[in-house]
Amino acid sequence: MNRNRRGIPVRRSLLLFSALLALMPLLTGCWDSVELNRRAIVSGVAIDRGETEADKYVLSFQVIVSEEISGEKARGIAPVALYTGRGRTMFEALANASRQTARFLSLGHVRVLVISEKFAREGIRDIMDVLERESDTRLTSLMFISKGQPAKDLMSTMTVFSKIPANDLVEKLETTSKQFGYNYRMEVDEVIRGIQIRGGGPTINGVQTTGDKENAGSNDNLKTIAPKAILRVTGLAAFKDDKLKGWLEGETALGTALLQNQVKEFPSLVEDREGGYIAFNVYQSTVKIAAKAKDPEHPLIIVNISQQAALKEGPSTLDYSDPEVIEGLSDRLTAETKNMIQLAVQEARRLGSDYIGFGEALRRENPRGWNRVKDHWEELFKTCEVKINADAVIRHTDMRGNSFQVNK
Amino acid sequence: MGSVRIGLSQFFSIALLFELGTALVVNLGILSGKDAWVSILLGGLAGILVFLGYAYLYWKHPDLTFTGYTTKLLGKAIGVPVSIAYIVLYLNLAARDMRDGGTMLAMATMHHTPLFILSTLMILSSAYVLHKGIEVLTRTSLVFLMIVLLIGLFSTIMLMLSGSINLNRLLPVMETGIQPVLESVVRQSYMFPFGEMVCFTMLMPYLSNSRKGPWVIMGAMLTAALLLAYTMALNISVLGADIVERSPLPLMPAISKISISDFIQRVDIFVVMVLIIGVFFKMSVFFAAALIGISEVFKLPYRKMLYPAALIILLTSMVDARSFIEHLDEGGRLLYTVYPFFMIVVPAVLILVTAVKSHFSERRPD
Repeated sequence: MNRNRRGIPVRRSLLLFSALLALMPLLTGCWDSVELNRRAIVSGVAIDRGETEADKYVLSFQVIVSEEISGEKARGIAPVALYTGRGRTMFEALANASRQTARFLSLGHVRVLVISEKFAREGIRDIMDVLERESDTRLTSLMFISKGQPAKDLMSTMTVFSKIPANDLVEKLETTSKQFGYNYRMEVDEVIRGIQIRGGGPTINGVQTTGDKENAGSNDNLKTIAPKAILRVTGLAAFKDDKLKGWLEGETALGTALLQNQVKEFPSLVEDREGGYIAFNVYQSTVKIAAKAKDPEHPLIIVNISQQAALKEGPSTLDYSDPEVIEGLSDRLTAETKNMIQLAVQEARRLGSDYIGFGEALRRENPRGWNRVKDHWEELFKTCEVKINADAVIRHTDMRGNSFQVNK
Repeated sequence: MGSVRIGLSQFFSIALLFELGTALVVNLGILSGKDAWVSILLGGLAGILVFLGYAYLYWKHPDLTFTGYTTKLLGKAIGVPVSIAYIVLYLNLAARDMRDGGTMLAMATMHHTPLFILSTLMILSSAYVLHKGIEVLTRTSLVFLMIVLLIGLFSTIMLMLSGSINLNRLLPVMETGIQPVLESVVRQSYMFPFGEMVCFTMLMPYLSNSRKGPWVIMGAMLTAALLLAYTMALNISVLGADIVERSPLPLMPAISKISISDFIQRVDIFVVMVLIIGVFFKMSVFFAAALIGISEVFKLPYRKMLYPAALIILLTSMVDARSFIEHLDEGGRLLYTVYPFFMIVVPAVLILVTAVKSHFSERRPD
């Protein structure tokens, strides 16, 4: 037998060599790899309704131009670029948009999905399927409805705090949800669960641009101290099934968000007897919705809400060191909360959509009864009895006791 | 059975990983909707009862594998064909698991990689470990079990911190009574994954402690049932029963909900790791069971049939079905038509024969 210097048979070394050769392709790594410089990271997607069925879906992709975000090669052009594709389905529209881009549209980092109000009124059911099915997109993308304007506008507005408008929108939502109010994170899977609620629907944050919409997409928008066009989070879009039914604003929206247990912190005002207002920061509210339904045809829905608040602004001669005064104020705070919730319930009934989850409460309490009434839950929802138990505690008055107006 | 002895902790870990296997990532027991976790627990208990039967057979024949005592009890004429049927079953189960794993990988991350390449790589790694021996497989499982459990712990904590868990989605428990739950136990969860423990009858002769061994394995099964039920409850409380029902891999979207300050996110790659680890061990155990069977029935050295068997598994998994839908549908029907025969009926007959024989052999002295 032929042997080489080390004494390994030639045939065996040939075999080894060919085995190594066969293993070589594995060294290149994943079959599916796309290098970073061949990817175009999509930060936000706007979904508009086209005029005809042939271009029903008009998708605009906000693509990050990485050199402009950071790096020495910046050319001073816009930090993001917008590409639009049209098609009969979402997927076709995506494929269409990719004709214009030099790189692969990478959907793994989509943070914002904006659907136009027009489309939302027609129904978003068909949009949602691809969003949950596609393995690249993620469920944690935030959903918005563009209020009264094409969704595309919102993806092409320059913003101050982040070079990427989609990121700016996410941060805006988080700021407002942490401090002032009723907008909260609404992710893809929550919208789908909302659509699936019998007799109800999701509520989705609204967003709009105000000001000079013409030049919103240019760097000039930011050259003045007061930006000419501002992207703002506004209102809650209330849905019945997958169709937009109406917009909730102000106290109604706040009550709705309270009912969904999504409010972290909000200012609450109580009218002072001497005129003017006293402002509280409600920093915690917990809501539990329960149902009493021995007879499912006549359910009683019980909303229990407990809140903690701090006095923030009290320009008044009231004696805040007196527990009774504080007690009285917290009673009025309670009344204010009750009022908000009542407004929210009224509005939901007016829109005929149980997006506040009363049906779910009934289902938890009496599943068999729910099965009997779920087909005509819409009517029951409009008439069923609702009891609201609210409790608010004013924990402290911040850095001062009485206002200086007391000692005058 | 040779000089190889495998310790109890290794047996615990291989049994636990085998049980978690693919079951951890799929929507197990979902026939009963949001009560899937109840159905898994019940399935686990039923599975342990069935396993007690296997344990009885093992205690009566501590040195023989399943094929060994089948031939001994039923005679060569019946025993050998039955043993061969079991070998085919194990090869088929290994192939099915590989198809599961390969397709899930393709669906989840590797969209363009051909299934054949994925499968070949998987079976090669499996064959390599088995070439090194069964004790290597079980020792490897100890390491990977730690990884899987750590991933589970990490994911749970992260999900809690990101506030995605809503226990209301698990309520009301059993809204339409216990019947759908029992139905899903019968159709799914006692067979998959708990009934599949039948292949451990081929490995148990390697146990270092024949008294305690089966109890340790049952402990692993109980742990697996608890972990699987917990995972399923977690999936449902994060995504809701509706989405879980429609997801072939619900653990993936559930974990992808983890997002902590937009900093810790996209950790779904962990699920892919769990999937690969699970498929690898499940497939390898079936593969090993088949190999031991082949070497016993045909009196061949264990390693001789390793690569041919690997090839059979690979090809079976490729021609098993045209699409994943077909594959799952087939699997679903096998669960309550064919498998019960192998996992309940035949062992029951053997138990009967053993019991009768030992009854008479005890009588003889007086």
